[in-house]
Amino acid sequence: MAFIKKDKQPGDGMSRRSFLTGTSALAAAGWTAVAGGWVLRPNWAHAAGPIKMGIATDITGAIAPSGNANWQTAQFTVKQINDAGGILGRPIELLLEDTASDPGKAVSNVRRLIQKNNVDVVLGGITSAMREAIKNPIVRRGKTLYIYPQLYEGQECTPHLYCTGPTPAQQCAELLPYLIKQGYKRFAMPSANYRWPQLLNKWARKVIEANGAEVVFEEYYPLDQLEYSATVAKIMKEKVDHVFNTVIPPGLQAFTKQLYEAGYQDTGGTQSCVYYDENSVNYVAARELEGTYSCLDYYHTVDDAFSQKLVADYNKMFPNTKYLFTAGSASTGMYRGIKLYEQAVIKTNGNLDREAVSAAMDSASITNGPGGAARMVPGTGHAAMNMYVAQSKGGKWNIISKADMVAPDECG
Amino acid sequence: MDIVVKLIFDILAFSSIMVLVVGGLAVIASLMGIFNLAHGEFVLLGAYTVYLFREWGLPEWSGMLAAPFVVAAVGYIIELIVIRRLYTAPIIAMLATYAIGLIIREIVRGLIGGQYFAIDEPIVGSFEVIGLNFSIWRTVIIFVAITVMAACYLFLVRTSFGLQIRGSLENPALARASGVSTTRLYSFTFAFGAALAGLAGALMVPLFSLSADLGVRFLVQAFLSVMLGGIGSFEGPVLGSAILGAMVPGFQWLREIPYVVDFVSPVFAEVLVFVTALIIVKLRPQGLIRQGRS
Repeated sequence: MAFIKKDKQPGDGMSRRSFLTGTSALAAAGWTAVAGGWVLRPNWAHAAGPIKMGIATDITGAIAPSGNANWQTAQFTVKQINDAGGILGRPIELLLEDTASDPGKAVSNVRRLIQKNNVDVVLGGITSAMREAIKNPIVRRGKTLYIYPQLYEGQECTPHLYCTGPTPAQQCAELLPYLIKQGYKRFAMPSANYRWPQLLNKWARKVIEANGAEVVFEEYYPLDQLEYSATVAKIMKEKVDHVFNTVIPPGLQAFTKQLYEAGYQDTGGTQSCVYYDENSVNYVAARELEGTYSCLDYYHTVDDAFSQKLVADYNKMFPNTKYLFTAGSASTGMYRGIKLYEQAVIKTNGNLDREAVSAAMDSASITNGPGGAARMVPGTGHAAMNMYVAQSKGGKWNIISKADMVAPDECG
Repeated sequence: MDIVVKLIFDILAFSSIMVLVVGGLAVIASLMGIFNLAHGEFVLLGAYTVYLFREWGLPEWSGMLAAPFVVAAVGYIIELIVIRRLYTAPIIAMLATYAIGLIIREIVRGLIGGQYFAIDEPIVGSFEVIGLNFSIWRTVIIFVAITVMAACYLFLVRTSFGLQIRGSLENPALARASGVSTTRLYSFTFAFGAALAGLAGALMVPLFSLSADLGVRFLVQAFLSVMLGGIGSFEGPVLGSAILGAMVPGFQWLREIPYVVDFVSPVFAEVLVFVTALIIVKLRPQGLIRQGRS
């Protein structure tokens, strides 16, 4: 998805300090440390033993903010299932491994989930680089089901790998036609130089041009570029009226600031960024964010009773948490993934065999989730879900429109 | 015309940031002969101080005023515990500063949960001249950079304390024989370099955002500036950083020229900065300003 692992820098990954922060948070939340990882055992047993669910996510390192939101979401969702009697009477046991924002380190940790702990399913991975690194150990050599929860650039069609976050088609299909209908005709695409923006822009350009608007420029910058005056000058000079932004932190903040300082918003310019969610206001100043559009599968402002209660319960379980339940940090995909897996196991009548569960997973659906229902599109490994166009107003995301069950348009 | 004014302003603004970052590094590298690889983390600590003050409900500007003193104190302690023992072994000193940097960076990463935080400028917004918008905060940074560098230069070159510093670094034995406490001066100089780094971090963090890797991002460019300007003087590296700081936005602006734009991508422009700097270093290995003072 959005945040790729940047070039390896000394000190990235598991440091002693962040390791301590990670473990103390886990211990506080009830997890027990076992050889290398952590386990959260259900508080009741079943004769057949628990269903073993592996979570492989970035608890430490550069991607830790999303990773921590992910294990919290997994714990939250599994607790709900176990409290309601488990899946067909069997409780779920969670096994957690830190992928440390480092695909190199991740592989051996993920292998431990499969070879030593024999998990029935693995959920996790935030960046595409991480997914690429761990999918073979899980799916091919490990012969285990893998669920990837993050919004991403698409084109992942490995059998037994299920993607439960939104795809470029889902993020572009509603947002861009809406923007063009608002009268924006000249788009700029400043982007970070890696795969997610490249593939997303390909989609976006297609939609923009099909709707009669034009792309003034599409440019790719080093991920940590600090200076964007030339780009901003071009945006101003070319009278761009909408910036479709796929620059990511740490380059993002310098870019949004320079664009704001140049008076872009004051002169009627608008922008969108499809990974912005409730966390964004922490790292982009509110006045720079004001008026920006985004398109995701869920916002805290989505007004259905189920979603509202879901987030309220999550916040009750993790009071004052820094790691919010948001779409951009893959929490929604994680929740959806676990609940879809539950439905698949119910369909196989408790048979946890990979082929059987995978066959059921291929067409699994849930009627409720963050943002509404979700349904796997058979034969594609991707999920149809509701998508929302939202605009930032005073630090909140105001929902502008909702599109029901948008197709992922992948692997078809 | 408009575009030239804007270009000059943007180049000045980024140059000033680089100058502020490199100032402290130059003091420590040129005057003490220590390549302080923890310099980026001193910059980070300056930025983190502003964040801490904000968390305590204090205004950003108070954190910016405090940052140089906080980071100077940290630098002083580090000199006392580690650096002091390693003046005779510059390579080991360099590795030690690398380790210190790593420790500081990872502690800060743990404290901020690995997240990014936007920090507000004390003076928000921009002012308009001849129909162009100029950021107030960047303007402040330009003036602060010029003032601080001029003050440092005068301090090191015109005051007797500055003379003692330079003297004890050039010939410690003779300085000690003349009754100068070199240990005390070394501690002071290191803390002074750290203070400059802290100030740089505090002033620039609103333009970017606080993250554990804030300082690392500048470290390579800062060292290249020192090479470009020449080790041994204060003004050499500062000049080097001004030039490097001008090239970073300057080469991106090359893309405004027709035809050039076809083969200079933003990524290539970034690479071009390093290539040009290295060519200059190759042609003038002694740096822009010759080593040592007359």
